[in-house]
Amino acid sequence: MLRNVFRLLSALLSAADAFCNRLYGKRFNPLYQSGTIVVTLYVVLVATGLWLVVFYRVGAPWESVAALTANPWIGNWVRGLHRYSSDLAVVATAVHALRMFAQARSTGARTQAWASGCVLLLLLFVCGWTGYVMVWDSFGQLLAREGSRMIDVLPVLSEPTTRAFTGEQPVATVFFFLNLFAHIGVPLVMGGVFWMHVKRLQRPLLLPPRPLMWTVIGAATAAAVLRPIVMAPRADAFTLPPTVPADLFFAFWLPLSHRLSAGHALLAATAFGIGFLILPRVTRPRVAAAPSVVDEDLCVGCVQCAIDCPYGAITMVRRADDRADLVARVDSHLCVSCGICAGSCAPMGVGPPGRSGRDQLERVRTFVSSGVAAGRIVVVGCEHAGAGADGRAGTRIVSYPVDCGGNLHTSVVELLLRGGAAGVMIVACPPRDCRHREGPRWLEERLYKGREAELQPRVDRARVRYATAGPGDRHQLAAAIDEFAAQIRSLNPAQASASLDVEAECEPAIIEDTA
Amino acid sequence: VTATTRILSLAAACAFIAGVVWLSSVPITAHASSAALLRLAWSARPERVEDCRQRSAEELANLPQHMRQPLACEGTTAEYRLQVRAAGALVVDRVVRGGGMRHDRRLYVLEEVPVPAGDTDIQVRFDRVETARSASTGPPQRIESVPPHLDYEQRITFRTREVVLITYTPDVRALAAVQGSSDPAHKGPQP
Repeated sequence: MLRNVFRLLSALLSAADAFCNRLYGKRFNPLYQSGTIVVTLYVVLVATGLWLVVFYRVGAPWESVAALTANPWIGNWVRGLHRYSSDLAVVATAVHALRMFAQARSTGARTQAWASGCVLLLLLFVCGWTGYVMVWDSFGQLLAREGSRMIDVLPVLSEPTTRAFTGEQPVATVFFFLNLFAHIGVPLVMGGVFWMHVKRLQRPLLLPPRPLMWTVIGAATAAAVLRPIVMAPRADAFTLPPTVPADLFFAFWLPLSHRLSAGHALLAATAFGIGFLILPRVTRPRVAAAPSVVDEDLCVGCVQCAIDCPYGAITMVRRADDRADLVARVDSHLCVSCGICAGSCAPMGVGPPGRSGRDQLERVRTFVSSGVAAGRIVVVGCEHAGAGADGRAGTRIVSYPVDCGGNLHTSVVELLLRGGAAGVMIVACPPRDCRHREGPRWLEERLYKGREAELQPRVDRARVRYATAGPGDRHQLAAAIDEFAAQIRSLNPAQASASLDVEAECEPAIIEDTA
Repeated sequence: VTATTRILSLAAACAFIAGVVWLSSVPITAHASSAALLRLAWSARPERVEDCRQRSAEELANLPQHMRQPLACEGTTAEYRLQVRAAGALVVDRVVRGGGMRHDRRLYVLEEVPVPAGDTDIQVRFDRVETARSASTGPPQRIESVPPHLDYEQRITFRTREVVLITYTPDVRALAAVQGSSDPAHKGPQP
């Protein structure tokens, strides 16, 4: 059943990705950029919040906010931008979490990122809660009462906090001061947790491409101007409003908790939070993929794998033997077994078991020896991308799936062409949708920009094509394959090379000799 | 990128933002019923009940000099029964104890009872529960506690969706009603 749920989630995600790719292109697809959009909105929230707090008075919360809201030039639209940015942040966080879960990027070495992400989500809700209570309108009062009702269930306070809102006395100024303190302090804590969230990434991307960033900010601003914020009635302990204007992004739980007893509501919230936290742990296989290993005899200490590793799992240390070079060391606690190091290592001395450059060559040699590649276009496709030439373009296309375009060793491409393939089309995930973050980027640079472990100059570039495709981009990919096939037809027929010796391809020294 | 794609992408973005704006302020039902609410909320110090005896000379002699108090007391705090009747019907009947693990802190009352709009006879009784140890044999208390018996009986006119608060006012040591905070004419406790 869980497998079906994952399939459904992945299918939904793929369909949404394909839709957004068609409308906004892969580079500006907001679904791919959900994490960086949250950071953008966080910055907007801090900036607008600093402005708003200048006008806020803890002694007269509703009155000060009402005065600010009544000012269309310096108040209302800033408040609107603050509110809509927080709502968009909830949406972007939800999309980001769904992506990470559906793409299995939340377990193993990524558990810390998932756990800190859950904490960030909780803090975001706390921020929203305190923000709406600050206004002290009917919605803020409802949130405060619901929150205090649940807190009172816990046997930690001898005096029920709900009594603060019964009308015996005006709500104390100190309450609004503490609430303001929390509303300012929690985002500071979020900054620290965010550091933990991205700590294990070697090159965390914090902001989306500028056009997308300004579009998001502009859209929230436009919404704030076109749909000005309206003040809800002042909180009153002596009337029961029939309805309350609620922000469902932060209070989606309110209609449900309102019907439950305080104990049950707290229990449900706690169970939901814990369930969300451990969801990847209980739904994904316990056995993680084996981390990369280093063959110290082959490692020449070039440092490229340490540079390319997206998770900083590889460090270079001095050799224990009499060779002067450094040698790579893999930290198995940080390694997610992405295999990018396998593609970055020219002498093929590092990679996950069974997926190193040498293993890739063994596999492709078997593939070539079977003769299926001869005279055909081989589509080397990342299994997560929209690759898969099955049923396309007749018999001139053959599919060769790999687990990640980023860990594809360029010698595989060369070997396919030397084995008689008419052309090789490599299909990777869109750069911001790679499960292993930087796979497509490094692959493209190895193919075209001479990045270490590059595709050798002797390989005919006219017979090699690189493309990116999401799972929902089959039609675009098909068109690209057709176009490549037409180009290949205009070239001379491919000739198979006499030697397909794997060892000859592996050792850089031997390759130089044969060249 | 075709013009159609541009228009579609803009339309999709606008629709998304419109959805966010709409969900940002959705009227939700806070109180479905048009009934009024009787709220009882107060805090007070419960009466300290102590069982005291004189220490014998021998007992005193065995104690360190700085601990030789002639009167030895063990105590607890009184419990109170809260009973609320609305239009003659018993709607609340529970025992209230002091706060804290040992129930020796201030007691807190917080009850909310829906009441139909209109005139309703409200009777509130808050009586000390008499037990074997409820009569204190200790010295008079220095801190004033809640009286052993509190009684409130009034006909209250509840307006639709109005909250009427009944609370304890230490100044007059009695229960009082607070009604209609938004109406200045009804402000203040009404014993």
